[in-house]
Amino acid sequence: MTAASRAPQDARRGTDRAARLRAALDTKAAPYAFIAPFFLLFGVFGLFPLLYTAWVSLHDWSLIGGNEGFIGLENYRVLLGDAKFWNALLNTLGIFAIAVVPQLLAALLLADGLNRIVRGRGLFQIALIIPYVTSIAAMAIVFSTLFGTEYGMVNQVLGVFGIDPVNWRGGRLSSWAAIAVMVDWRWTGYNTLIYLAAMQAVPKDLYEAAALDGASALRRFWRITVPMMRPTILFTVIISTIGQMQLFTEPAVFDTGGAMAGGTQGQYQTVMMLVFQEAFRYGDYGYGSAVSWVLFLVIVVLGLINVLLTGRIKGAS
Amino acid sequence: MTVTADRPAQAPAGRPRRPAGRGRRLRRLRERAPLTYAGLLLTVLLSLFPLWWMLVIATRTTDAVARFPPVLLPGGEFAANTGRLFGNAGAHFTLGLWNSFVASATVSLSVVLFCSLAGFALAKLRFPGRNGFTVAVVVTMAVPVQVGIIPLLVLMQWLGWRGELQAVIVPFLVSGFGVFMMRQYAAQGVPDELLEAARIDGCSTLRTFWSVVLPVLRPAMVVLGLLTFMQTWNEFIWAVAVLTPDNPTVQFSINQLNESAYARDFSLMFTGAAYATLPLLILFAVFGRRLVGRIMEGAVKA
Amino acid sequence: MTKRSPTTRPRPAPRAATAALAGGALLLTAACGGGGGGDGEVTLTIDTFGVMGYEALIERFEEEHGIQVEERNVTDVADYTPQLQQNIASGSGAGDVVAIEEANIAQFMLQKEAFVDLAEHGAADLEENFLDWKWDQGTAPDGRIVGLGTDIGGLGMCYDTELFAEAGLPTDREEVGELWPTWDEYAATGEEFTEADTGAAFMSTIQPLFRVVTAQAGGEPFQNTEGDLVIEDTPSTREAYDTVTGMSGLSAALPIWSEEWNAAIQDNAFATMPCPAWMLGHIENTAGEAGEGRWDVAAVPGGGGNWGGSFLAVPAQSEHPEEAAALAEFLTSPEGQLSAWEEANTLPSSPEALESAEVTEFTRPYFNDAPVGAIFGATAMELEPVYYGPDTQAVDDAFRAALESVEQGQATADEGWDTAVSGSERAAG
Repeated sequence: MTAASRAPQDARRGTDRAARLRAALDTKAAPYAFIAPFFLLFGVFGLFPLLYTAWVSLHDWSLIGGNEGFIGLENYRVLLGDAKFWNALLNTLGIFAIAVVPQLLAALLLADGLNRIVRGRGLFQIALIIPYVTSIAAMAIVFSTLFGTEYGMVNQVLGVFGIDPVNWRGGRLSSWAAIAVMVDWRWTGYNTLIYLAAMQAVPKDLYEAAALDGASALRRFWRITVPMMRPTILFTVIISTIGQMQLFTEPAVFDTGGAMAGGTQGQYQTVMMLVFQEAFRYGDYGYGSAVSWVLFLVIVVLGLINVLLTGRIKGAS
Repeated sequence: MTVTADRPAQAPAGRPRRPAGRGRRLRRLRERAPLTYAGLLLTVLLSLFPLWWMLVIATRTTDAVARFPPVLLPGGEFAANTGRLFGNAGAHFTLGLWNSFVASATVSLSVVLFCSLAGFALAKLRFPGRNGFTVAVVVTMAVPVQVGIIPLLVLMQWLGWRGELQAVIVPFLVSGFGVFMMRQYAAQGVPDELLEAARIDGCSTLRTFWSVVLPVLRPAMVVLGLLTFMQTWNEFIWAVAVLTPDNPTVQFSINQLNESAYARDFSLMFTGAAYATLPLLILFAVFGRRLVGRIMEGAVKA
Repeated sequence: MTKRSPTTRPRPAPRAATAALAGGALLLTAACGGGGGGDGEVTLTIDTFGVMGYEALIERFEEEHGIQVEERNVTDVADYTPQLQQNIASGSGAGDVVAIEEANIAQFMLQKEAFVDLAEHGAADLEENFLDWKWDQGTAPDGRIVGLGTDIGGLGMCYDTELFAEAGLPTDREEVGELWPTWDEYAATGEEFTEADTGAAFMSTIQPLFRVVTAQAGGEPFQNTEGDLVIEDTPSTREAYDTVTGMSGLSAALPIWSEEWNAAIQDNAFATMPCPAWMLGHIENTAGEAGEGRWDVAAVPGGGGNWGGSFLAVPAQSEHPEEAAALAEFLTSPEGQLSAWEEANTLPSSPEALESAEVTEFTRPYFNDAPVGAIFGATAMELEPVYYGPDTQAVDDAFRAALESVEQGQATADEGWDTAVSGSERAAG
């Protein structure tokens, strides 16, 4: 770069300084400007309810009667000794355990399949998202019918193999299994699409090179696709954890009647069902808020464990 | 999977594709495709059944819901049910469709824009507090929403938005889910060299985002936009809490469909649900194509 | 300056529709600003659920008072009630007049200050317009009138005439009613029916019977007016429980309102079911054309009975309490209840309306022209007053779960009782 004359160079130095200043400002301020809309809107519409709920949980607060006095941590003390809470937490974790792993694995394989085909991909994509857009009422009736004791299609099929009818809602494990089927039916396609989008960012030449090197499809999937997609896989693991811990819709529609009781003996009452039951069905808003807050803390802890575990795996590989 | 399959330009659609002749291995791999199709097809059938059954009920009278063994073929009542649907004065179904469209379009565009900005910043820009903000985003997703309905209602009242459409729009203009998703995608898909080059080039951050980052993020933006649209479209609990039956969203309206006391009219509700699902499927058919492609094209051209 | 790398050349903006649509969205949001605006005229809002039969009445009220009335109806009471609670709790959003279901009236009574005392608007003189027990349910112990009765759920016993014929039992509704003046005789009939081996069960589930039997005993079956639990101090409650669980063997153990229960109605899989007035519509819809003439209605064992029904109340948050009270009183007047009966077959809670020819002579073609108006009306008149406490919902839920676990064989009757009592204590304690 050579200067043609002195004067223009001076002028240029001036604009350079302005530009540098602007650039420095840009580097410093832009990140905050980019994240500001999210945090501002969340601050108003997310944080306020959260803090309000925390406040309510420290009171004897009935939905109808309103605030009936500050009671400190009494709701939390009761909660720790409440068998219904521990039962609900156990159910939530149990359903989580049997639902999430097959779901994410199936989604990964389906996405890989979709990514490899050309013909009919659009149609397959639509078909996969259909469970997510099917009306909850239709889903509720279909699955209730499938898992009925007397008239259920699943029991009819089992009968063909000489297996006695199962009271799906009656047992803990059987109800968990039925709900896990509903959850996976509804959310596998959803995760598949997220994975499919992420696969678009895996450079294709990696595959071509591997294919030429003679790596099998399965090997390429485990050695290229999965490692390249680690951030997205971590993302789906965390959102699935959060979503599953707040599981409500599927067990609620699986239940009969509107009590949110999760079966005759709470076999499948999840924590969110308990929250709804306490706060809205029985009007104990203070206690419902306390359960809600404890659930929030449990989720945060589980999320951190997720991050730590995946961090370790990442470090090890 | 075949290499040719990744290169649509070389294999015009409709004609049977032949292996490019890179050896037996590739051919063997390609022959796995039937298995892939079979797996996908099975998933599709399982996925479709409840929707199909819903359509069947929409073409029949309500007593078909409880029939055993279940009815699986359409009947002849669809026109009659459609007439009852749009003629139902209490449900305001057409208004519900329109309201849901306005809300879903606004929310999904806003979510895609703001979450891409924030996700990109958290993934690729260096600034003090970045990790803290990232964790904060994830934590916001863990907030259980249900008991929060009451304070949110209080807030809406204070803003004077009860019964107004913005009450189902403004609180949802951003989502922790979206930010986190875009952050993870950007971390995985946006090469640092690209940003470095743009910076050295003198591009402002915004300019870089718009011209360099957005094209790379596109598949994830499409997915986020579609999922957000569908979620907003199907949202029910909050809509029922904050809106009124005379100015409903479509799901609220469907729930209002009834003509008899103490009994749910499922054929009418499912006719409504069918009309409410159709726009989503069209939207998905149109935008779903954009989900796959650009980067592959790039790879082919390179 | 450095060399430009080819990769950083600003690309043309992607063809994404994002930008174009974003502009469109702004237009859309601008177009959907708030509507409505007062022009000085009073407009009342009434929140209802299910079908109340108020269309004609509201029109008449509008004409007579020059007040606009808007009815906001929510189909399902399970959706409606939490919403009403949220509106009362957040101090806004409720209608000027709201409907409240029987199971929830005591709970709302706890917050009686949130509702207008209708006595201040002339309701104190209306007592004779309502059945005693209905009036008492809507009135606080201190005399504050919170809710005025609308419909009630007078009871009959629905039975499947074809299954009865198959089992060699009478099919005429008078004769059937004479089979079971008491619950013991109902159970005995059930044994006889079961022995005939028709393949069908005598009843779908024992659970709804418990509510009916406790209501027939009257008094305070679960909770007294101070809010204390009295389940174990009320012998009739345990007796009702034993009567009902004793019939477990006659039950198909299909939970009420479940999909299977509906399928069983269509499949003619059980022979009897306690029928409040509002259940007839459900049977008609579910059994469809094939069931026409198959079901009939006889008297319910044990005398009177009631299951469900509603009230109208005026939330204190209403800006027009005077007009709202007038509307509630108009809708619940004997003439109002009769008009609702004619429109939607909601059984009146007004003795005058119940005794009128429009009710007593009413027959239902689907149920073999059964005179359901007379059957239901008679049971409602016989009913002992019964008090349901503020935690009725929780107590109901606890007993429902316990009874279902007993009939499904997951617990013994004694275990079920203990669970139900501890569940009730947990909620009410």
